[in-house]
Amino acid sequence: MVGSVILTFALIAGITSTVMYFLSYKGNNNALNIARISYHAMTIFVIAASALLMYAILNHQYYYKYIYNYSGTDLPFGLKMTTFYAGQEGSFMLWTLFTAITGVFLQQYTTKREDLEPRVMAVFTLAMSFLLLMVSPLLKNPFAYIWSVDDYIAVQNINASLLNLPFMQNFLFSDNSTGQTYVKIGADLKAAFESNGYSITSLIVQGKGLNPLLQNFWMQIHPPILFVGFALATVPFAFAAAALMKNEYKNWIKQSFPWVIATTAILGLAIMLGGYWAYGVLGWGGYWGWDPVENSSLVPWLVAVALVHTMLIQLKSMKKNQSSTINLSKNEDSNRIGEFGKTNLVLALLTYILVLYSTFLTRSGILGDASVHSFTDPGATVYLFLVIFIMTFILLGLGLMIFRWKHLSQPVEDYKNLLNRELALFTGAVAILASAIIIIAGTSAPIFGQAVQIEFYSSLNLPIGIIIGLLNGLSLLFKWKETKGQDVIKKSLFSVGAAAVLTVLIIFAADISDFMMIVLAFSASFALFVNAEIAYKIIKGNKMMLGAYVAHIGIALFLLGVVGTAGFTAQQSIDLPKDEPKEAFGYTMTFKGYTPFDNGKKYAFNIEVKKGNSVSQVAPVMFFSEYNNGLMREPDYMSELRHDLYISPLGYEDGGAEAHNHGNEVMLGKGESTSFEGAKITFASFDFPKDAMNSMMAGQDFQLGAKLQVEFNGKINEVETLLRNEKGETKRIPAEITDANLKIEMSNLDASGKVNLLLSKLNGAQVEQPASVKEVLSVEASVKPLINLVWLGVFVTCLGFLVAGIRRMKDSYFA
Amino acid sequence: MKNKYIFGGIVIGVFLVLMGFLFTQTNVKYEHDFTRIEESTRTVKATGAWVKERNYQVDKQKRLFSFYMKDAMGKEIKVIYAGAIPNNFETATSVVVTGKYSNGVFYASDVLTKCPSKYEGNMNIQQSGM
Repeated sequence: MVGSVILTFALIAGITSTVMYFLSYKGNNNALNIARISYHAMTIFVIAASALLMYAILNHQYYYKYIYNYSGTDLPFGLKMTTFYAGQEGSFMLWTLFTAITGVFLQQYTTKREDLEPRVMAVFTLAMSFLLLMVSPLLKNPFAYIWSVDDYIAVQNINASLLNLPFMQNFLFSDNSTGQTYVKIGADLKAAFESNGYSITSLIVQGKGLNPLLQNFWMQIHPPILFVGFALATVPFAFAAAALMKNEYKNWIKQSFPWVIATTAILGLAIMLGGYWAYGVLGWGGYWGWDPVENSSLVPWLVAVALVHTMLIQLKSMKKNQSSTINLSKNEDSNRIGEFGKTNLVLALLTYILVLYSTFLTRSGILGDASVHSFTDPGATVYLFLVIFIMTFILLGLGLMIFRWKHLSQPVEDYKNLLNRELALFTGAVAILASAIIIIAGTSAPIFGQAVQIEFYSSLNLPIGIIIGLLNGLSLLFKWKETKGQDVIKKSLFSVGAAAVLTVLIIFAADISDFMMIVLAFSASFALFVNAEIAYKIIKGNKMMLGAYVAHIGIALFLLGVVGTAGFTAQQSIDLPKDEPKEAFGYTMTFKGYTPFDNGKKYAFNIEVKKGNSVSQVAPVMFFSEYNNGLMREPDYMSELRHDLYISPLGYEDGGAEAHNHGNEVMLGKGESTSFEGAKITFASFDFPKDAMNSMMAGQDFQLGAKLQVEFNGKINEVETLLRNEKGETKRIPAEITDANLKIEMSNLDASGKVNLLLSKLNGAQVEQPASVKEVLSVEASVKPLINLVWLGVFVTCLGFLVAGIRRMKDSYFA
Repeated sequence: MKNKYIFGGIVIGVFLVLMGFLFTQTNVKYEHDFTRIEESTRTVKATGAWVKERNYQVDKQKRLFSFYMKDAMGKEIKVIYAGAIPNNFETATSVVVTGKYSNGVFYASDVLTKCPSKYEGNMNIQQSGM
C-alpha cells in the first residue's frame, strides 16, 4: 500500500512541476519556485519508492505480485538486486528513477544558464510524468498485490504452516495431468484470511525465481547503464523543444552538446555490454545477432552519433559567420543560425522519440514472434498508453518544427569546393543515418507481418561501414570550409601507406579473399592511422582536445574487429569422448569430465585445451532450468591476443543409455535406429496379420514380423525378421544380410510397440565389445579472430566521448 | 550549400534503392497455414507447434535435427534443421522455423522456440481440498 501511495504522490508532484514550469515559461514569476519544489519532492518520492521496492525484494515480500514473479529467496544478494529490473514493472521503475535523478542535474545545469530552466524543464518533466504514469497504480505498478488478480500459486511456494488452516481447503486446486497442487489466490482468499484473523502477507514464502539467462554479472550492469542512457536521451529532446519554444537556435547547441555526448557515450557502452552478454551467456556465438531488442537500442544511438557530427558543423559555422562573405547587417548576423539548424533540431527530437519507439517495440508485445527475448504481452491498456506516450512526443516535436519552420529557413553560403570538413562530416552523418534507417526498417517489418533475414542488415551495413571508415579519417584531413587538394594528399601519405601495409598483413594473416572485406579492412586501417597520427601530435598539447580522435580510433579498431569476427570466424562441431584428445584449429582438446556446482544444479564440462606447451581450461556449462523448464547451455571461451577460442556445448551422452543395450541386444521403437558393425538398422513397422491376434487368443499357431531397414555401405536393404509360434513353441526366424555379414533376430516385443533385436555376425565371429562405453561431450568450437578489438574499440570510443563531453561542458557556459 | 543536398541526396537515394531491393530479396513472410507453405518455394517463417507424439530425431553424424510440426489446422510437416537441438525445445509452446519447403521436407535455417514461463501453460485444474 505504501509503495503505491508514494508513487501516486510522485505522479501528482511530477504533473504539478510540469504545469508550474510551463506557467513559469509563460511568464508567471511565482510558478518557478513551486515547480522546483515539486520536482525535488517528486524525485524524493521516486527514490523512496525505489528503495522500498528494493527493501521488499531483499526481504522476500512475495505478496507483491512483481516480486513473486521475478525474485526468489535462494538468489544471492547481487542477483536479488537484479530482480529489481527483471520484469516490465521494475524496469520502468528503474527508468523512472534514473530520469528523475538526471532531472536534478539538469535543473542545476539549466538554472545557471540564462532563462533555460523553465522551458527545458517543462518538456523534461512532461516525459517524467509519462513515466510516472506508467508505474502508477493505473498501469504497470511494481507494488501491485498478488491477490489483485486471481492466480494459482504452487504449494511449494506457500508457507506450510498456513496450508492446514480449515478455510484454506476451499482454495486448494490440483492439476490432474501433473499432480501439482496450487493455491488459488485472489480477493476471496484475502477476505478469508482477514475474517479469520490471519495475515495474508506471510502466505507466500518463495518466488518464481529469476530467469537463469539474467543470472550473471553482465546482466547486473547492462540494464542500469542502458536506462541511464535512455534517461539522458530525454535531455536533447528537451533542449531542442526549448529552443523552438523560444525561437532561438544558437545557444542550445553549445548548451546541450555535453548532454548529447554523454547520452551517446552511455548508450554506446550499454549496447556493448548487451553484446558482451549475448556473447558470453546467450551463446549466440557472436556479439550481435540483429535481434529486435538489440537493434531498437542501436537506432537511437546511431541517430545521436549523427547528431554529434551535425552539431559540430553548426557550432563551427556560427563562429565563422563573423567573417561571413554574405553581407548582413549586424542584427541579422547575430540571428544567424548557422548550418544544419533544422537538422540538429530534428535529430535531437528523434533521439528520444526513437528511445520511445524502441520501448514500444520491445514492451508492447508487438514483436511477439520475432524475438528470442521480447517481453511478454503487457495487455491492451499498456499498449495504448505506449502509443499515446510516443505520439505525444512525436506531435510535440513535429508541431513545434512546423510552427517555427519559416524562422528556420535561412539562406546559407555555398562551399567553395567539395574538400571541406563540413561536407565530410555531413556525409558521415548521412551514412550513419542510412544505417539507422536500414535497421529500423528491418526491425519494424514484423509489425506488417514481414521479416528480414540477417543478410539484409549485414549486406547493407557493410558498404556503410566502409564509407564511415574512410570519412572517419578523411574528415580530419580536411580543413573547415576549404582545403587544397595537394594538402590532403600530402597529409594522407603516411596513413594511406601505413593502412596499405596493415591491410596486406591482415589479408595474409587471416587469409582474406572477400573483396568488400579487404576494402573495409583498408578503410578502417586508414582511419586508425589518420587519427593516431593527429592524436600523437596533440597529446603533448591540450589533452582535452583528444576526445574526437580517441573516439575515432575506437571506431576504427571496432571495424577491424568486425572484419575479423564477421568475415573469418571458423566453426566446427566436435564430439569429445572422455579423455580422448581431439585436434581442431591447432588446439588439442580433451574432455576431462564434468563437475557439478551451484549445489549440484549446474554442471561445468571441463575441457583441457592445449596449444604447444600452454594448457588451459575451458568449461562450458549445461543445466536444467526449472524456470524455463528446459536445458540451458552456456558457452565458455578462452581469450588470446589474436582471437578467442569459443566453445558452445551441444549435448552430452553419459554412456548409460547405450550400456543397457548389452552390446548386441537392442530395443527399438518405431522409426528408431541403431548402429551395429557399420550398418544402420531402423525398425520400420510391425507386420501384424489381421488374424494373428485371434490366433494368439485362441492358442493357435501365429506369426509376427518386424520390418527393418538396414543401411550398409550406402545401400538400403528391406528385411523382415519373424517370430513364429508353432504348437505352443516359439521360433525365431532371423533376417540375414550377407553383404553386411549381419544376422538379426527378434527376441521379444513390447506392449509399448517396441521390439527387442538380437544382433550378431553371420559367420559367428565374436563381436568386439568396446572396453567401456565412453561419455561423449558434443560441442561447437569456433575461433573468432580479432574479437578483442570489438570490445576494445567500443570501449575506446566511449572513452573518447567522455573526454569530448568534459571539454564541451567547459564550453557550454555562454558568455 | 547546394552541394550538401546533392551529396546527401545521392547517398540517400542509392541506399534507399539498395534497401528496397534487398528488402524484397531477404524479406520473409510469417506463415501459419502449412498447406500454403507446401505450395510455395520461397523462404518463409512457419509458425506452429512441435508434434510431441512423433518425437524428434538427432542425426549425430550429419548434425541434423528433425521433427514434425503442425499448424492450427493440424496439418503436419517434417522439419530438418542443420544444427543442434535448440534450448528449451522440449517445452516450447510454439516454434517458429525459417526456411524453405522442398520435396516433402521443410529445410530450416533457423529454429526459434517460444516458451511458457514457469507456471503458465494449459493447466487442467480441479478443486481438490487436502
